[in-house]
Amino acid sequence: MIDAQKTIVVTGIGVVSPYGIGLSSLQAGMLAGQCCLKPATELYPGFAGTVAAVGELPSLAEGHRYSRTDWLAMAAARDAVADFDGPGSALRESGIFMATTVGGLSEIDAEISRGPAAWYRHGGLSRAASYPVSRVAASVGEHLGIEGPACAVSVACASGAMAIALGANLLLDQAAPMVLAGGSDALCPFTLSGFNSLQALHPEPCRPFDQNRQGLNIGEGAAVLVLETQDHATRRGARILAVLRGWAMTNDATHPTAPHKDGAGLASCIRRALEMAECGIEEVGYVNAHGTGTPLNDIAETHAYENSFHGRSRPIPVSSTKSYFGHCLGAAGALEAAITITAMQAGALFPTLRLTDPIESVGIDWLRGELRRQPLPVAMSVSAGFGGSNAALVFGRPRS
Amino acid sequence: MNAIWPVLTGIGSVTPYGPLAGLVPTEPLEPSTITAWTTPGLRRAFLVEPFRPAAVVPGLKTRRLDRLSAWALVASSLALRDAGIDLSQWDRSRIAVFFATGFGCVELTEAFFQSADANGWAGTDPITFPETLHNAPASHVALFHDLRGPNVTISSKSFAAESALLQSASLLRNGQADLAVVLAGDTLTQAVYEWYEAAQLLSPACFSHEPMPTADGFIPGEGVVAMVLEPAGRQTARSYAALGAGRWAMGGDARSSIHQLLGDIKPDFIFCAGNGAPCSSTAEAYPVRDLVGEDPAIYPAQTVATGMGEAGALLHLLLALSKCPGLGQALLLGRSAQGGYAALRLELF
Repeated sequence: MIDAQKTIVVTGIGVVSPYGIGLSSLQAGMLAGQCCLKPATELYPGFAGTVAAVGELPSLAEGHRYSRTDWLAMAAARDAVADFDGPGSALRESGIFMATTVGGLSEIDAEISRGPAAWYRHGGLSRAASYPVSRVAASVGEHLGIEGPACAVSVACASGAMAIALGANLLLDQAAPMVLAGGSDALCPFTLSGFNSLQALHPEPCRPFDQNRQGLNIGEGAAVLVLETQDHATRRGARILAVLRGWAMTNDATHPTAPHKDGAGLASCIRRALEMAECGIEEVGYVNAHGTGTPLNDIAETHAYENSFHGRSRPIPVSSTKSYFGHCLGAAGALEAAITITAMQAGALFPTLRLTDPIESVGIDWLRGELRRQPLPVAMSVSAGFGGSNAALVFGRPRS
Repeated sequence: MNAIWPVLTGIGSVTPYGPLAGLVPTEPLEPSTITAWTTPGLRRAFLVEPFRPAAVVPGLKTRRLDRLSAWALVASSLALRDAGIDLSQWDRSRIAVFFATGFGCVELTEAFFQSADANGWAGTDPITFPETLHNAPASHVALFHDLRGPNVTISSKSFAAESALLQSASLLRNGQADLAVVLAGDTLTQAVYEWYEAAQLLSPACFSHEPMPTADGFIPGEGVVAMVLEPAGRQTARSYAALGAGRWAMGGDARSSIHQLLGDIKPDFIFCAGNGAPCSSTAEAYPVRDLVGEDPAIYPAQTVATGMGEAGALLHLLLALSKCPGLGQALLLGRSAQGGYAALRLELF
């Protein structure tokens, strides 16, 4: 018996991606196999590498200084509730869980280090006000007139998926009628420089899970899911796009930056999410992987899938959609959750682009080449990040 | 109280009172004079005096860490010790770490900007970059104690610490963890302090040794407080309090929400949690006075904890628990200048 008060469903999806605003532009671009990655020098002269940027954003709000991350978040949130026709109180009392790693870092110049007071006097004061990551969630609330619990989640590249998991927990606690959960991150010199210093950037478009992978590309974007209980959604006659059947969060606790080499923490996370979803390993039709394209991540992740799906009758289909528009950091988990739901809706398994020589694995069906069409009742989105954090989300198609 | 409500069994802190396990001294503190950077005159704040972490937690290596991560390690170790937790007896894959912060690893973020300014964006420091991420302190706590459960770092305008307490309790209640180490804290740096000053948010007491009890503004502070939450029932555990229902929100009808939260309960104590905003005076933190009558003893927001802004509620709670003599029902209550609120029911043991 399904408990409709404890079943979490997705009733709205808002996306801002390098394809444009809206899930439909993302879906159309990905179904066409369009890659948005471009040389970084076009945007940031002097920077090597490859990035994917969002084009011009509409002007959404006046009167405050918002960071680019805030703008992306507000645009995605507005898109997510564009079709909302439920009671105004449900939206006003909603919770907001927004993930970010960059926050307002994009607004701060390196010159601040020569003397903060002087930098503030010369125009930096209002720009620095957008620095705290909590601003991202607060901005969404201000923009949409939402007054419920608001929380920013900042757990490196697992942030976006964790925001969705924590938002779902809030609904289990009946602490809000709905939750807007997702992530947002802007491109900025700070993060480009950081990953460059770690020699983690692929100079050309990345090649996740390929034996010749050299690193990641940074992208930007935002995605927001509208979550509510099935009971609440049914009562207000909302169209259910997907069911969030299970979620889990774990930590490797092995290294500050590198993943556990056997992917043990991630495998444990996947198992727990499947347990919560009451879902067998045979039922999962697709895994949208973290798949950054870095040597260490992709091999650890491969081991995690081999372990957690061991015993399946058929190899588990896996792809990394970071090959389309890069790694959007704190937004990645949310964007990939949106892509996973899109895959289920369209019955389309997106291949990893440029995957010509995959990591050898008997347990994994690496999706590459042509788009694969097949019904997809259950799919999973997996995220991991610096600090050993892991998150997994299991989505199912809504029951008719 | 409901049996599924978790209990607070351990406290550790690194605050201007020093590194301590359990409750803290109750006498008020004076702010210290800032000497870590050159100031244009007297500048004061509630600062953590330098100490050697390994002297408090033997074996702790913090040489490569910023102060926030080092304090998180010390505070979490003291809290687990205070709770009498022998981690070898626990399934560490089911222990969560939940960290609340306003500014995260701002010391190393500033250091990274400094390296970019000095060497250009192509010459930044690879060791520093990962440590600038907000979740670095929580991940160091996981790494040091081998805690493999959910590891979450959050921030919430005005109410990060309250939110972390409530969300940790949710992890326990929903079976996603068996034990949670909840931490909240921030470090004070030149850039943060000078931003407050430029935005005219500081109390005149930051610039003078003269007492000015009624002046607006706040005195910035720093530190980390850690608390151990677990389900009730462990045989050897001493409990400070059980954590009941709670709520935080950016706005809306705080009174009716708190009324709903309290039900028929009349709290014996109200612990006020200011949030660092200059107008969050103690008086504004009492919207429920008419709901609960004149009976409850009110513990005003403490200046030292208010200085920690949105990460300050754990220190407010710690100070209130340290001062509060009795058993009974308590309400931890925070208000923000923008109309937000946080409220959390507690049963004190």
